[in-house]
Amino acid sequence: MHYKILKTNEFIVFLILVGLSIVVGAVNPAFFSLATLFDTLRGSIVYFIMAFGLLPLMIAGGIDISFVAIAAVSSYATHMFLIGRGYQGGVLPYFLIACTIGVSMGLLNGLLVTRFNLPIFDVSLAAYTMWYGFNLFFIGATANFDLPRGTIGYYARFLFTVKDPFAGTTGLHVSIIYVIGIGLLMWWFLKYTTIGRGVYAIGGNREVAIRSGFPVSRVLLIIFGIMGLMSAIAGVTMAFLSRNFNPVIFINQPLDVLAAIILGGASITGGRGTVVGTSLGVLLIQVINRALILTGIPVEWQRLVVGLILILFTSIPALREQRAKHTSHTTEIAQTDQP
Amino acid sequence: MAEEVLRVENISKKFGGVTALNNVSMAVARGETCCLVGENGSGKSTMIKIISGVYTPDTGDIYINGHHYKKLTPIESIREGIQVIYQDFSLFPNLTVAENISINQQLANGKQLIRWKEINRIAEEGLARINVSLPLDAIVETLTTADRQLIAIVKAMLANARIIIMDEPTTALTQKEITSLFKIIDDLKNRGISTLFVSHKLNEVAEIADRTIIFRNGMKVMEQDAKGLDVKTMEYYMTGRKIDKEAISFSKVDAVSISLLRVENLNLKNCYFNINFDLKPGEVLGITGLLGSGRTELALSLFGLMLAESGKILVRGKEVKIHSPKDACDQGIAYVPEDRIREGLFLDQSINDNMVVSIIDRMAGRFGFLKEKQKRAEGKKWIQRLEIKTPSGVLAAKSLSGGNQQRVVLAKWMASNPKILILNGPTVGVDVGSKADIHNLIRSLANQGLGILLISDDIPELIQTCHRILLMRNGRIAKEFKREDITESQLYIELIGASANNGRA
Repeated sequence: MHYKILKTNEFIVFLILVGLSIVVGAVNPAFFSLATLFDTLRGSIVYFIMAFGLLPLMIAGGIDISFVAIAAVSSYATHMFLIGRGYQGGVLPYFLIACTIGVSMGLLNGLLVTRFNLPIFDVSLAAYTMWYGFNLFFIGATANFDLPRGTIGYYARFLFTVKDPFAGTTGLHVSIIYVIGIGLLMWWFLKYTTIGRGVYAIGGNREVAIRSGFPVSRVLLIIFGIMGLMSAIAGVTMAFLSRNFNPVIFINQPLDVLAAIILGGASITGGRGTVVGTSLGVLLIQVINRALILTGIPVEWQRLVVGLILILFTSIPALREQRAKHTSHTTEIAQTDQP
Repeated sequence: MAEEVLRVENISKKFGGVTALNNVSMAVARGETCCLVGENGSGKSTMIKIISGVYTPDTGDIYINGHHYKKLTPIESIREGIQVIYQDFSLFPNLTVAENISINQQLANGKQLIRWKEINRIAEEGLARINVSLPLDAIVETLTTADRQLIAIVKAMLANARIIIMDEPTTALTQKEITSLFKIIDDLKNRGISTLFVSHKLNEVAEIADRTIIFRNGMKVMEQDAKGLDVKTMEYYMTGRKIDKEAISFSKVDAVSISLLRVENLNLKNCYFNINFDLKPGEVLGITGLLGSGRTELALSLFGLMLAESGKILVRGKEVKIHSPKDACDQGIAYVPEDRIREGLFLDQSINDNMVVSIIDRMAGRFGFLKEKQKRAEGKKWIQRLEIKTPSGVLAAKSLSGGNQQRVVLAKWMASNPKILILNGPTVGVDVGSKADIHNLIRSLANQGLGILLISDDIPELIQTCHRILLMRNGRIAKEFKREDITESQLYIELIGASANNGRA
């Protein structure tokens, strides 16, 4: 049992993460500071939330890129609606309205997939393009910096603050609590509920899942709903952290989130993936980002490095299989062949 | 007969204009092992689907445990204790053994939350029932076919099966695994669980059956207690013709002329060692051995898919280097692979396209476009010559039965006009009738002067087609037999003996 952990994808990502941190810290000691840690976490928050929302869909064998458009529409539409009515209160109504919109949009994807038996990726590609267009055309084409008074302090609502010689006063943002809460909830959902196991079952073999009596359409609808919900939370959180609402927010980010999930051990073809792995994947991409900045390597390298690590990771299972084939054959013959 | 669990009466089922089942009645008694035998397309699968509620029969009655059904739904069938183990076993490859075993109970009881202790307990108890132990936390895709089958059986038992229907259960199993499967079927019998064993491997049927039912063209042509039923009789009922093994005429080997293929001291580390043999025109040379004996690797090396490390290959007396399939083709060598579905056919392409693919450059016109007419003519020629049963060559290759697919693969290579043909397991998964046809074909090809290497572990096949048989063991040619000098049972002992001597002792 103990050795098994050492062979998991999660452990390898963890090792890379630790190794990378040590190297960067050696080059630039500023990396080992609470300020850097808090800053990295702050940058990761929305990616954590979106990745958790997308993970069940990936496990079920689907690839979606429309979640970023859902985040953009639900947050931007909510903001324009509230600000248009002169709303000056806190953040809660933002989350409530955006979540309702997000879940509805997720379910719409889900209905198209389950009712008309359409491929998940095709639907999401259409939704991705369509919803950004919708946002720009019907709601507004420019970023809006006009925040309600009650929400202005939110971007600097910290759990702890630290004074840092370089960064000044900074802290750990409260929304890290949602991240932890959502992560725990998703972990429980995927491991301890029948629906959650159904997600893995569908990813393993959809036909057999239907034959075994899993309510496949219902499971898919639920995880599309979850995806919409998480996208909305991420969209609103991002807007408050960056103090503006942007109609094309995240438009270039869907692949970063997919990359994080795959780094964390999920498979494109479905059936595999964990919350722990996904979290490590998100962190790894963020750390690579910051590492490049702190070590003075041009930011353009970030994509190259992430790409190389992805190739490495996707080839590990193939390499393992090849080696297994080779060794099994040689052991059969090895014992008698030497004259 | 003991108490009947299942009886169907006067079942007929048509699909469009095709009659799949014609007025068939049969019954299965409690604790009985009943074998259902028939060629592809004889109606076996339709019957399984009717019993499991997937198809509704056009006419006829179904009685299960004394309850009468005109129409049977899958759920009703499962509630009555009918469990089908399909060839794919209906498992989740990405989940653990424990979860695969327990998941149906979890769903049947309508539980919303998972208790992993409960899952493991159910799995352990299930495995204990058939006295096997498997690691509960192993991922199913890492297990062997035999182990997956065990999981499927455990699942069926946990669903309170009274009849377990096994559809071609031994196709992917080794001899040893088949023996232990039969032990489990015996064990099921002692618990009063009946097995409906669907197969076309007749020697296995002869071994396991309490009673045998044979279908042909949608009708039941024979039903008999297994005692005194021999393979020959079964073959006769299955195919409707006598397959006469005595009256086989073998081609004359041209022993005088130079060898078509000569292999000298061929070596490949961990695969085969010091291989020497000759293949004369008109000769069928069998190569046999257990899985892992190196026979497949040797064949692949002769076709350029693996490279030998040392030794010589001579074609018509001249030493040649075969580094790729193209080199092999240039020397007139053709290879028909073991797994025709994965390696030999484009299933979604037409039969014609499949047959001309190896001579595609001959079909091309001046600008590289294919000449449709010529392609069709070539396709027609081979469909006739190899008696491929299809209404048209433009249909997809997947529309054919296994035996006919195998002929398409053969046609593809024959079209390139080879001098040396390497066949790897040419009749694996093919029913008796098509098998005899393929054997005839092999003999007639040899008659035309081809040299044929036949790699197979089907002993009757070797005896009925080969002039000489080489037995490989751990990468070496251990023995050579002339067909006249050895019987089927002697060869069987030699083959299995090879494994007994080399067990992991």
